[in-house]
Amino acid sequence: MKEPVYEVFARKNRGEPLRHIGFINATDGPLAAVYAWKTYDEQNWEEMCVVPRAAIIPVEPGESQFVTMLGREPDADVMKLHGTGSYGGGDMAVREGGGR
Amino acid sequence: MSVASPAAERIDSAAALGPESRQALRDLVLALADSKRVLGLRYSDRMLGAPTLEAAIAASSMAQDEWGHARLTYALLGDLGDEPKTLEHERPAAEYRSIPALDAPFASWADTIAAALLVDGALTVQYAALAESRYAPAHNRVQKMLDEERFHFQYAAGWARKMAAVPEIRPELAASLARVLPEALRWLGSDDAPACRRLADEGLVAGGPSELRRRFIARVAPVLIETGLADELGIVQRDGAWTYAGEVGWSGWNESTRRSGGSLDEVTAARARGDKNRALLMD
Repeated sequence: MKEPVYEVFARKNRGEPLRHIGFINATDGPLAAVYAWKTYDEQNWEEMCVVPRAAIIPVEPGESQFVTMLGREPDADVMKLHGTGSYGGGDMAVREGGGR
Repeated sequence: MSVASPAAERIDSAAALGPESRQALRDLVLALADSKRVLGLRYSDRMLGAPTLEAAIAASSMAQDEWGHARLTYALLGDLGDEPKTLEHERPAAEYRSIPALDAPFASWADTIAAALLVDGALTVQYAALAESRYAPAHNRVQKMLDEERFHFQYAAGWARKMAAVPEIRPELAASLARVLPEALRWLGSDDAPACRRLADEGLVAGGPSELRRRFIARVAPVLIETGLADELGIVQRDGAWTYAGEVGWSGWNESTRRSGGSLDEVTAARARGDKNRALLMD
C-alpha cells in the first residue's frame, strides 16, 4: 500500500513565517496531521501545517527541491522515505529524499 | 444524601466531601489512573511492530502521553486519602482497576486501533466529565490531557477508516471493535450504582453513566459509520440520536473497581509498577 507524502510546515511564534521542517507519509490529511505533530515534536510549535506534496505548485519547477530533489515526478505523490527521522528540519528532509 | 445545591459549590480539597462521596471519587480516579497506565504499556508495545514507522512513532508518543496522564491522575489520589507512590509501585496485579479490555496484550494492530478508538475514547469522555467537576484539583489537571487526546482520537479514527477499507483486514477490525465496545460502554458505569449516581448528583463529574455513554457513542459513531461497521456493531440511530442496541451486561460488575472479575496479569503489573528498576526508585 503506497502512501502520499505530506510536507510539514511550522512556526515557533505567532507572526513568524512558516518554515518547512520535514515530511511524512500518511494515508490522508488527518493522519498526516497526527504523524507530523507526534514526529516533529522537538519544538513547542505555535502552529503546524501539513500539505500534500502533490498540491505544491512550484513557480519554477526546474529549480524546485520539491520536484527535482524529492522525486515529485513521475511518481508525483508517492515516495517511500528512508526513516522518518528528519528531526533536524527541512534540510535533512531534502537530503534524505535526494539520496534516493 | 447530598447537601443542598452541591453542584454549585466549588471545592479545593476532598476534605470538604462526605466519606461516601470521597470514596466514590477515589474509586473513579484510581480506575482512571490504572487504565491510563496499562493503556500506555499496551501502546508502548507498538513502538516496534506498527504497520508504518510514522504509526510507530505516534504510538510511542501516545504511550508517553498516557503515562503522563496516569502520573497526574495518581497524584490526585493524595488528596483523596491515598499515598500515590504506594498505589503506583506496591500493588499486586489483582488490585489493579484498569479497564478489563486491557487485561490482555494487543494481539494485533486491529486490537490496538480498537482500544485507541474505544478504550481511550471512553476514558477521555470520563476525563472530560471530570474537567467540569466542582472538585477543583480534578478539573485543573484535565485540560492538557484532553488536548493531547484529540490526536489520539484522530489517530484511531484514521487507522480505523484505513483498515476498514482493506478487505483482508476489515473482519479482524470488526471483531476487535465488537469485543471492546461493550467493555468500553460498561466501564462508563451503571445508572443503578449508587457511587456513579452520587458522583453526578454532587457535581463531581458532569454527567451520569447513561449521559457519558451517550457522549461516548456520539464521539465514536461518526467513525464507525464511516467504516461501514456501525450496524454490525449495534450502533443504531433512534429518535435522532446514536445508541447501542446490544447488551452491555452488568453481571458481576463492581462499582468500585468498574470490573466484572478477572485481573490484570502479574507480568503486566510488574511492568506498571516498575519492578525491574525498583532499586533506583527515587522518593
